[in-house]
Amino acid sequence: MPNSRQNSESFEIMISNFEDIILARQKVKFLMGEMCFSLLAQTRIVTAVSELARNMVTHAGQGKMTLFQVDGKRKTRGLKCIFEDKGPGIQNIDEAMQEGFSTANSLGLGLGGAKKLCNEFKIESVPGKGTSISIIEWL
Amino acid sequence: MKALNKEVSLLLSKHREKIFELWNKQLILRARSLVEAVGIDETKQMTLDILGHFINVMPDQDDQANDSYQKVLKILAAMSRKMTLQNITPSETAIFVFSMKNSIFPVLQDEFDEKKLADAIMAVNQLIDLLGINTFETYLESREEIINEQQQAFKEVSVPVVKVWDRIIMIPLIGMLDSERTQMMMEILLEALENSQSKVAILDISGIPVVDTLVARHLITAASAAQLMGAECIITGVRARIAQTLVQLGVDLGGVVTRTTMADGLQLALELTDQQMH
Repeated sequence: MPNSRQNSESFEIMISNFEDIILARQKVKFLMGEMCFSLLAQTRIVTAVSELARNMVTHAGQGKMTLFQVDGKRKTRGLKCIFEDKGPGIQNIDEAMQEGFSTANSLGLGLGGAKKLCNEFKIESVPGKGTSISIIEWL
Repeated sequence: MKALNKEVSLLLSKHREKIFELWNKQLILRARSLVEAVGIDETKQMTLDILGHFINVMPDQDDQANDSYQKVLKILAAMSRKMTLQNITPSETAIFVFSMKNSIFPVLQDEFDEKKLADAIMAVNQLIDLLGINTFETYLESREEIINEQQQAFKEVSVPVVKVWDRIIMIPLIGMLDSERTQMMMEILLEALENSQSKVAILDISGIPVVDTLVARHLITAASAAQLMGAECIITGVRARIAQTLVQLGVDLGGVVTRTTMADGLQLALELTDQQMH
């Protein structure tokens, strides 16, 4: 995402259990509220954050979420969330993004769903090294 | 060093009374609310005990397995714990320990020459600092315990079953639906269906802040389990933004009847059971 520039201090939240996911969701909701995102956008992004954060807990055991505001082209503002873990990584990203694909006995909609819920979505994964997913929602 | 420590210990023992007096005076000045919380007599007893053990520890202060050392720690830990529960700040508990310095140093000052004084103060300082740090650790530990207990208590918020009409039950779902909670919800739902011979169960999700794929999966499972028992599941409290989010996520709630409000859900439930509101 070359068109975005960090313009605020960033918040880091370590996520290693389901209680941490609640904290992460609350933080995102609070920041989005402060930036005056619509309630619908808040719900969409918080849901995406919930999916991605839980993916880290279930597949990697733990990970880190980083949040900050970004400036885009033409004075637009946005919120960027980066999810990084040092888990097993994803073997086949295209397959993992497909509806119904799951290795954890879930609906298999979380990863692909999260992509549809936000404006920008980027995923990088190295098997055996870890996964990094960043999402941006523009105001 | 060891000889000096012994000397200090003897000196402290000799001036025990004076140190005791000084320390208690300091406490009343600097940690008043702590003294009030513990009680003057008990504070005196505690300082006397700590001082006694302290004098015993002094000769070999590096030996942390020492009996007296353990006893001092125990007294301080008990006090720190008690203070946490009474909402006394950890600084005040630390001041309790650190003010011991102000009562010991004057005695050392009177008795030792400059060279010795520096070493003696260093030794006493080191030991008291250790004890002070320990009260902080205990403080943190007891905080953690309190937080853990609260988390447990929070988890135990039960899942209530409300019988709203003949053959219609309602379960309001609140907070985060983790696996444990869902398991409990499921058991309670199915048991209530069996016991009350209800035909319709209304699950209200108004109190669930985020409906993601995990929550959706749990709801679908609960609904199909209810259907196996010949009952219909209605999910109410699906607000506009939740509907939109679920569609974008690609979640298919096709097999489950959903409504926006409890009122709509109840209306439908009455129709399903051939009943009317009079």
